[in-house]
Amino acid sequence: MSALRPLDKLPGLNTATILLVGTEDALLQQLADSMLKADCTSELKVHLARSLPLPCSVNRPRIDLIVFVVNLHSKLSLQSVEESLCHLDAAFFLGKVAFLATGAGRDSHCSIHRNTVVKLAHTYRSPLLFCDLEIEDFRAAMAQRLVRLLQICAGHVPGVSALNLLSLMRGSENPSLEDL
Amino acid sequence: METQSEEQAVTKPADSGGEGGPPQVAGAQAARPEDRMTLLLRLLRAQTKQQLLEYKSMVDANEEKTPEQIMQEKQIEAKIEELENEVEEAKTAFEMKKLALDRMQLSTALKKHLEKVDIKTSVLMDNMKQILNLNKLIMKSQQETWDLEEKLLDVRKKRLQLKQASERKLLEIQTEKNKQKDDLDSMENSDKIKAIQQNLETEIQITTVIQHVFQNLILGSKVNWAEDPALKETVLQLEKNLTMI
Repeated sequence: MSALRPLDKLPGLNTATILLVGTEDALLQQLADSMLKADCTSELKVHLARSLPLPCSVNRPRIDLIVFVVNLHSKLSLQSVEESLCHLDAAFFLGKVAFLATGAGRDSHCSIHRNTVVKLAHTYRSPLLFCDLEIEDFRAAMAQRLVRLLQICAGHVPGVSALNLLSLMRGSENPSLEDL
Repeated sequence: METQSEEQAVTKPADSGGEGGPPQVAGAQAARPEDRMTLLLRLLRAQTKQQLLEYKSMVDANEEKTPEQIMQEKQIEAKIEELENEVEEAKTAFEMKKLALDRMQLSTALKKHLEKVDIKTSVLMDNMKQILNLNKLIMKSQQETWDLEEKLLDVRKKRLQLKQASERKLLEIQTEKNKQKDDLDSMENSDKIKAIQQNLETEIQITTVIQHVFQNLILGSKVNWAEDPALKETVLQLEKNLTMI
């Protein structure tokens, strides 16, 4: 089972594929539904997976964006994400990977400290998004954001590439990251 | 790793104008799919261009050799930061060039437009005049702001100076008071005072003894001192306790 590579297949016409990786199936499903409801000029394909590596038996299109969903309430999700990260080709981390941390709203249930995910995102140089996927409105807003992100990573927006977006998003990051 | 991974794929068709829009006239409907087709084709063209660019850049990137030697993590981090900075610089340089190019294009277009149009009546001229007026206003208000700020600064400086002067005066008063107190203390402890005090004490004692002697003299002579007012006064005066003075 080989690692996922970002550009090893040709892109489908007007199609953008996103892969959501996370242990919480219900949340992923809800997020996928919200994303499909968001309006977008390109065709969207959402793939869900519990962990990488994916079985290579399935014929799947080129994956444009991978979002790792970490639930701050469960250490298992963080563990599984960390294990899955090893199966990705390094070229993916040039803007085609994002981390999404959910469950930060209920601080009493959080067993993972916020800084852990921040450090994880910093090590892999990828953007980190926070969203409470259980709340409908936040989920819809995050779905919109992810759709835009996906369009850029799939190359549907002329003039902006995934790497460009990465350095753009890095600019708004908390500068205290260097103190970590 | 043989972990069980579920995979589900969901799709959604493109909705560029396909979802229940307002009902169209039949004649316009023939034009509609053609418009959509051209729109879609343009979209696809832009996308393909962008994707081609991405693939090309990946090919170029792969040709560059990455250093394979094992470096410490700190060095890797430093290198990564360097590379990121290079990317940022390339981006800004590109943006600057694009800006310069846009400006040149704009100025030539403007020149051509001005050559065609009658200068006195064009809307452009009105806009330019409005812009100039506004700029003059802005400069005037900025000058006023500057003046007011200067005045404020002067007032603040004066206030600071007054505060400093009052501080100095108070300090002087305090030192004077302290000096006085010190003088007083030293005076109390000086030897001269002690000597004077000793003398005073001996004098008082001598006088008290003389008083007692006179008293006893007068009493011993058994004279009726209460009758004579001068003698009475003398006796009463001898009663005065000199240590209480």
